Amino acid sequence: MIACVAVVGHQNNPLYLQSFTGADDALKLHHIVHCSLDVIDERVNNPKRSVITLNESYLGLLYPTESYKVYGYLSNTKVKFLVVTTDLDVKDTDIRSFFRRFHAAYVDAVSNPFHVPGKKIISRIFAARVSGIVKAFAPGTYG
Amino acid sequence: MILHTMIQILALLWHQIVAVFAEFRRDWAEALRFYEEAYRALREMIATSTRLPPVQRLVEIRAVAEQLFFKISTLLLHGGKVEEAIAWFNRHFNSYKHLVGLDEVSFLHWDWLSRQFLVFAELLETSSAAIPNTLSSHFGTPESSLTEWEIQPAYYYQLAANYLREKRYCLDNLLSTGDSEFSRTSGKVPESVMPSVFIGQSARLVEQGDMIEVLPLSDAEYVQYALSEAQRFQDSYEIIALFRKACESFTNLKAPRLASLCSNRMAKEYFFTEDFTDAKKLFDTVSSLYRQEGWVTLLWESLGYLQECSIRLDSAKDFIEYSLEMASLPIFANGDQEIPDSKREYGPAGLPSQSRREALQSEVLSLVRGEEIVSRTDRGCSIAVTKEQPVRIDVDIISPLRMVLLVSVAFHDQSVKPGSPVMITLSLVSQLPCSIEVDELEIEFNQPKCNFIIINAVEEISAARSNGDNQDVRIETAPSIVLPTNKWLRLTYDVKSDQSGKLECLSVTARIGKSFKICCQAESPASMEDLPFWKFEGMVQTFPTKDPVLSFSGQKVIQVEEPDPEVDLILNASSPALVGESFVVPLTVIPRGHEVYSGELKINLVDARGGGLLMSPRETDPFSSGNHHVELISISRMGGDDESRIHSDKIKKIQQSFGVVSVPDLRVGDKWSCKLEIKWHKPKSVMLYASLGYSPNSAEAARVNVHRSLQIEGKIPISITHTFMMPFRREPLLLSKVKSLPGADQNVYLPLNETSILIVTARNSSEVPLRVKSMMIQSNSNKNETPYSIQHVGGVSADDSLLVPGGEFKGVFSVRPKIDSPNLELGSVCLNWNRDLTLSDSEDSGVMTEQKLPAVIVEQSPLVVSLEFPPHAILGIPFLFYIKVSNQTNLLQEIKYSLGDTQSFVFCGPHDNAGFILPKMEYVMSYKLVPLCSGSQQLPQATITSLRYSAALNPSVTATTIFVYPSEPNFFVADNEKETILAKLNL
Repeated sequence: MIACVAVVGHQNNPLYLQSFTGADDALKLHHIVHCSLDVIDERVNNPKRSVITLNESYLGLLYPTESYKVYGYLSNTKVKFLVVTTDLDVKDTDIRSFFRRFHAAYVDAVSNPFHVPGKKIISRIFAARVSGIVKAFAPGTYG
Repeated sequence: MILHTMIQILALLWHQIVAVFAEFRRDWAEALRFYEEAYRALREMIATSTRLPPVQRLVEIRAVAEQLFFKISTLLLHGGKVEEAIAWFNRHFNSYKHLVGLDEVSFLHWDWLSRQFLVFAELLETSSAAIPNTLSSHFGTPESSLTEWEIQPAYYYQLAANYLREKRYCLDNLLSTGDSEFSRTSGKVPESVMPSVFIGQSARLVEQGDMIEVLPLSDAEYVQYALSEAQRFQDSYEIIALFRKACESFTNLKAPRLASLCSNRMAKEYFFTEDFTDAKKLFDTVSSLYRQEGWVTLLWESLGYLQECSIRLDSAKDFIEYSLEMASLPIFANGDQEIPDSKREYGPAGLPSQSRREALQSEVLSLVRGEEIVSRTDRGCSIAVTKEQPVRIDVDIISPLRMVLLVSVAFHDQSVKPGSPVMITLSLVSQLPCSIEVDELEIEFNQPKCNFIIINAVEEISAARSNGDNQDVRIETAPSIVLPTNKWLRLTYDVKSDQSGKLECLSVTARIGKSFKICCQAESPASMEDLPFWKFEGMVQTFPTKDPVLSFSGQKVIQVEEPDPEVDLILNASSPALVGESFVVPLTVIPRGHEVYSGELKINLVDARGGGLLMSPRETDPFSSGNHHVELISISRMGGDDESRIHSDKIKKIQQSFGVVSVPDLRVGDKWSCKLEIKWHKPKSVMLYASLGYSPNSAEAARVNVHRSLQIEGKIPISITHTFMMPFRREPLLLSKVKSLPGADQNVYLPLNETSILIVTARNSSEVPLRVKSMMIQSNSNKNETPYSIQHVGGVSADDSLLVPGGEFKGVFSVRPKIDSPNLELGSVCLNWNRDLTLSDSEDSGVMTEQKLPAVIVEQSPLVVSLEFPPHAILGIPFLFYIKVSNQTNLLQEIKYSLGDTQSFVFCGPHDNAGFILPKMEYVMSYKLVPLCSGSQQLPQATITSLRYSAALNPSVTATTIFVYPSEPNFFVADNEKETILAKLNL
């Protein structure tokens, strides 16, 4: 169900990107995640948005492609979290809770004193935890 | 079954017809409802069979669905229901996207899908005015399932292009295999096929004599027909056009990443059509965005295409640049498994991986060492680097190739004396996956004499080359110049420069092979930017130099100092300068070790308050209004042996605060002096800067500078004060003075036609003794019409009288105004003085200090009182005391007068009396007084009151004091001394 998760730094550089499809689509997912950053920029810079939504980290559905949907989440340190799903009908609350857990995993990973902020996340524990969260999001799909 | 199908067809037709009629009636809601019904009826028919063969039936259903959907979306969009229209479109797309049909005709499906997107994009574009602005405010919220780009036609154009690309792939696959069942069975394209009268159907026209018969087609025939039709179209141009349209829209919408995705696709299409120039141009722009944001995988793909383009365009330089960049890129992988390469997905470069990087590096190295590289897509195309066409790559500080070779250069010192060696450390690092061996390093400085070459000792070619063309360049050898991955290669050498000024390392050129050079701009370790891409990698941080201090503060620039001057420049000022005089500062140039050639002396005067800043006094003081307070008057040769040359061509330029003068050529042992004449107009402290620039020998251009400075205070030499007095024991009545309040104004009142006394006091306020040469009052007006007369009547002799510091000089003048004036200018005091010095050449006329006297008020006094009595009296002997009041008016004046009693005197005459004074007459009151006490005694207090003017006069104490001798004094002194003693006693 979840095709890919990504963490993008505040210079819009990829910090972490993991595909879960098992297929040969890494490049395609890179393109999708990269293009979704345009929507994040648009939403963050758009002054028309109401205050309630501005204060929220969850950015909602960013970018529907023909076979994927991309959801976004922005941390206070301007780190972007993106998730690409193949399921075209996902509940908003599910995605929100997914992002909260994903964010917590990220916070734990960058709290490592040996991690330099702004660099790529290479922690294996983080990768394992993220794939755990992804599996929990759609049990049975990757079981 | 057939009946059921018939009913379905009829229902579909009926719905359609009703909808069309509703449209005629402009009943849009009704029309929409029936079109939707018709669309639904059509959906139900997909599974059923008709008389048409399956391929054509699918084509027909798609054609009908397209038409119905076109109607529905037009109606919705024109009604402003954008969200509904988009939802309808998504439903339409989802219903039909899996109806691919047989493999042989799948291209028809993709073609159709692409057309759906294109049509919807165009509909959206034409009705963009109907899209409400409020729509964008709630994207991404649960209330809206839409996102920003879904209402943009560009999004649909892009997808239309994507599906058209899919169609082209299918068609190409089909044509390349060429063994489809249909092509085998039919083999021949049917003739005269045309669209039938029914939507989505085709028919063949067969001429039989005069009759034209319409015959149905078999599926095989139809496929052949469709294939031949599809081949006629150049899909690539259509795809490029659609992507371009999408790209431009996204650029306008400030979505650079989506725009670059479209550019990327467009470039791939150009690549496919073998338009490599356009493809390269587009890939280059796309790569710059990916480079900027650090998307390695995306950049890798573009670079792979660029590499191929360079081979096909026969550009070995570009190929090497792209390959080196790819080889030095970090791999973005989070434990990614190795996926088999897919050319369609990843382009010619495949998936980025460590092994691919290594392969790329060895490929490039073999190319620069003389091998040929063959294109991966077209085996006939190849490139090579030859001696005739050497390749040189320049790497500057913004180049992505900094990852390939980064050169940091640090001098170990910040400045160096000319001719003495300084250590320089060259640090080189490369991110290429394997070690790279450099044959030769060429280090270039801004002073070409310092350039040197480091050759790899094991390389024989280098040695051979060094014997050839570079005879005059210094050559160093290093045991081996090998750059391991991400490890600094540090080389330290001495550099010696003879030329003062800046010495900067410009670049380091590495030569690999015979005909390949990579030239890197040198960077200072102190200001080195992080490497692109690698800054996001969790690498161990390394320093370019072993000394960490040098790594943080090292610079690629060093200042080569001037040689030490060996010439003395002596500036002297013995005392503070005095305002008004031309102050002489002697300046001496004495060569000690150097000879002086083409010397130039610069003099600069700067306000010392300005903190040493080189500003003229005018700039520091806005109130001076263009007049310099301190002025450089002249620079003249001292000694007088060749006085004639002083002011001629030797002085180049003199300004008020700046002067340049040339210094003659001097040998060691010579001496040259000059004097600077500076004039102060206001008391001010001034810095005098003198700098001598010269060449130590006549041939060399390098100049040496000597600087000296001296602070000189400017002081006021003399302060001048003055007082006006009346003659002794004479008091004119000045009415306006009587009326004015005491202390209210400081005006001086003088009586008309009476003599007043002016005492001018000059006080030496400096620290040096001065000589007063003369003091005079100079009238401002014309001499013939002076309204007053001034005469010098006394005071100390002005002939060169010495004025010690703090000493005073007094001049006494008598003033007699001749006209009645409320504002009479008395001219100014002119004091001519000079320093009490006996300089050999200071026979000057002295300095004139001028101070203006204030204007006085002159008026006619109606009454003048004068007291008359002898200078001394003798105890017991009577003397006469007269009080004379003269009436200077034409009126009768009445006065009262009184004389008080004292213990020291008895007198005869009235105590109180009054009297009248006739016009122009004098009234004399005479008393005879007998002194009763000896010593200095106060006369009885006299009071004279004018009734007309209500003014009373009490003569002052000094004016009414007399000395009483106890008996007749006997002075046994010579006559000439007697006067002196008497004068002293009087004091």
